[in-house]
Amino acid sequence: MKKSMVALLAVVSMVALLAGGCASNSEAVKKDTASVPAAAAPVAEKVVEPAKPVQPVETVKPAEQTRPAESVKEEAVSNKVAKPAEAQPAAPAAEINFETVYFDFDKSDLRQDARDVLSKNAETILKSLAGAKIKIEGHCDERGSAEYNLALGERRAISVQKYLTTLGVKGDSLSIISYGKEKPAVVGSDEAAWAKNRRAEFVLVK
Amino acid sequence: MKIVLLVLLLVVTPAMLHAQPGYIEVTASGNRQLRLAIDPPHQLGSPATVAAAKLASDVIAYDMNMSGVITAEVRSQLPNPRALSLLDIDFAPWLRTGSDLLVSGEFSLKDGRLTIEFRLFDVINRKLLTSKRYLGTAKELRRFSHSFSDEILRVITGEKGAFTTRIAYVSTQTGNKEIYIMDWDGYNPANLTKNGSINLNPDYSPDGREIIFTSYKHGNPDLYRRSLTHPAEVAVSSRKGLNITGSWSPDGSKIALSLSKDGDAEIYTLEKDGSHPVRLTVNPALDLYPTWSPDGKQLAFVSDRLGKPQIFIMNADGGNVRRLTTTGNYNVNPRWSPKGDKIAYSRMTDGGFNIFTIATDGSSDTQLTTEGNNENPSWSADGRFICFSSKRSSGNGVYVMRADGTGQTNMTQGKGVYFQPSWSLQ
Repeated sequence: MKKSMVALLAVVSMVALLAGGCASNSEAVKKDTASVPAAAAPVAEKVVEPAKPVQPVETVKPAEQTRPAESVKEEAVSNKVAKPAEAQPAAPAAEINFETVYFDFDKSDLRQDARDVLSKNAETILKSLAGAKIKIEGHCDERGSAEYNLALGERRAISVQKYLTTLGVKGDSLSIISYGKEKPAVVGSDEAAWAKNRRAEFVLVK
Repeated sequence: MKIVLLVLLLVVTPAMLHAQPGYIEVTASGNRQLRLAIDPPHQLGSPATVAAAKLASDVIAYDMNMSGVITAEVRSQLPNPRALSLLDIDFAPWLRTGSDLLVSGEFSLKDGRLTIEFRLFDVINRKLLTSKRYLGTAKELRRFSHSFSDEILRVITGEKGAFTTRIAYVSTQTGNKEIYIMDWDGYNPANLTKNGSINLNPDYSPDGREIIFTSYKHGNPDLYRRSLTHPAEVAVSSRKGLNITGSWSPDGSKIALSLSKDGDAEIYTLEKDGSHPVRLTVNPALDLYPTWSPDGKQLAFVSDRLGKPQIFIMNADGGNVRRLTTTGNYNVNPRWSPKGDKIAYSRMTDGGFNIFTIATDGSSDTQLTTEGNNENPSWSADGRFICFSSKRSSGNGVYVMRADGTGQTNMTQGKGVYFQPSWSLQ
C-alpha cells in the first residue's frame, strides 16, 4: 500500500499539470464535497495530518473560498494520502485526482454526483495512468449485517467498475475488492459518518 | 415447561414414579423448579473443603441455574461421621431445606493429577440417580464439572446438556479482528488467529476440532480452515471475489458458503478441502450466509432477491426455494436449530438488530431480545441456549440466553468489541 502511494506521488507532477484541465469538472465534485456535513471534520483532520502539503493543488481549483480547508481534508481522506510530508519534499504539490464515490443506504446504483466523480477519475486514468492497475474498494456504513455488507460493498465496487469501462477504461486494468463495513473512513454513528463510509475508493496497484 | 418436565420424567423414570408418588407431586405442582443442593466434593483424606471443591460446585450450580430446569445452591455439609460407605448419605438435613436433588462427591488432587467422582441423589426417594468418575489433570476440573452438569440434565430431562462445548468468536481486543474460542461460560478464552488482518465468521466442524473462517490475510476475503490444536491455517477457497460465510455440513464432509466468482454472491457447496464447487443459487441478487438443517437435506440462507435481505430455505441441491421470513424488511444471520424445528436469525429495525426465532414453516415468529444491538445467533448443541453478540448499555460481549429469550448473560469480560459467535456441537 505504502509503495503504491509512492508511485502515485511520483505520477503527481504530471497530474498537477492536468489540474487546470479538470477545473470544469471540479464544480460537481465540490458539490459532493460540500454535501458532507462538517460534523465529521475533526476525524478527517486527524487522518490527514501528515499530508498537509497537498493543499497547494487544491488552490488551483476555482471557488475554493467556499470551504477550502475542508475540501482538502475530504479529498485527502478519500485518496488515502497518508504519506509523511518529509518523504516527498521535492513534490509538495502531490495530489492524485482520484475522488471517492459515495452511495445511498443499501444501494449500489450510481447517483449523478457519483457519475460526475467517475468521469473525472476515468479521465485521470486514461490521460495519466495508461497501463496502470487500479483497485476499486467497495465499503459500507456500520448499519446492516457485516456479512450482507461484504456482498453489498462488492456490488458497489462492481457498479463503479462497470461504469468506468463504459467511459473507455480498460476492464483488465481494474480490479475490485469489498471490505464491507470492516474499514470505515470515519468513526461515528450518525448520518454524517455513515454518508462518508458508504463509498468506493480507488487505489493504484503497483 | 413444568408439564414438559413431568412428561420427560414419566418417560425417563417410570419405576421411580410408581414407587414414590410424593416425588411427582413436587415436580407436578408447577409452582417451582426442582431444587438441587450441591455439597462441595470432599477431598479424600482431608477434613477441609478446598478451592477445587468450591470451583467444581460453583461450575455445576452455574450450569444448572442457567439451564432453567433446576435451581441449584451450593451448601456445605460435613460428611456423615457414622456413614458406612460413601453412598450412605444422611438425607435429613437436605430434606429439611427443601432440596429435591443432591450432588455430592469426593476428589483427590496430588502432583497435579486429579481424580473426582460426582454423584446425583434423589433426596426424597433417597436414591442414587447417577455417578461419574473422572481422571485427569487439575486443569480439567472445570471441564469435568461441566461434564457432570451434562449428565444431571440427561438424567432429569432425558437430554444431556452441552456445557462442555465452546464458542468461537471474533474480537478486536488486539486492535484487529482476530478469532478466539472460549468455554460456553466465558472461561479459558484463547486467541486462535494472530495475523493482524481481518478475520471473520468462524464456524466449527461437527466434531468440534476445527474451524473455518474468512480472512483478508492475503488481501482477498478467502476461506481458511484450521485445527484448534495446531496453528496452521489452510486455504480452503481463495477464488476471485468473496469466499465468505462458510458453514460446515452436519456430517462434516462439505462446506456451504457464498462465492462471488460469477460476479455476484451465490451459495455454493464445496468438499471440505475446497474442491468440487457446486452452485446452488442462480440469481442476480446477493445470496449468502447458508446454514444447514441438522439432517443435511436443506439450507436456509439470506437473499435480497425481493429487494431487501430476507431468509429463504432451499433443498440441499438448490431446488424448491421458498421464503421463510415475511415480517420485517431486513432479516439476516439464519442459524438452524439442532433439533431442526426452528431457525434463529437477527432482524434490523430502526432501533437496531434483535434476535428472533421462527419455525421452519414460517410460524411462531418470536422476538427474543429487546435491548441494544443483537446479532449473529448460534445454537448450543442441545438446543437449550442461543449465543449472540450484543452491544448494549449493560455491557458489550458474547451473550448466552435460553432458547425462549430468558436468562440473557454476558459471558465475556475482556476489552474490545465482540462479533459473530459460533457455538460448537461437541
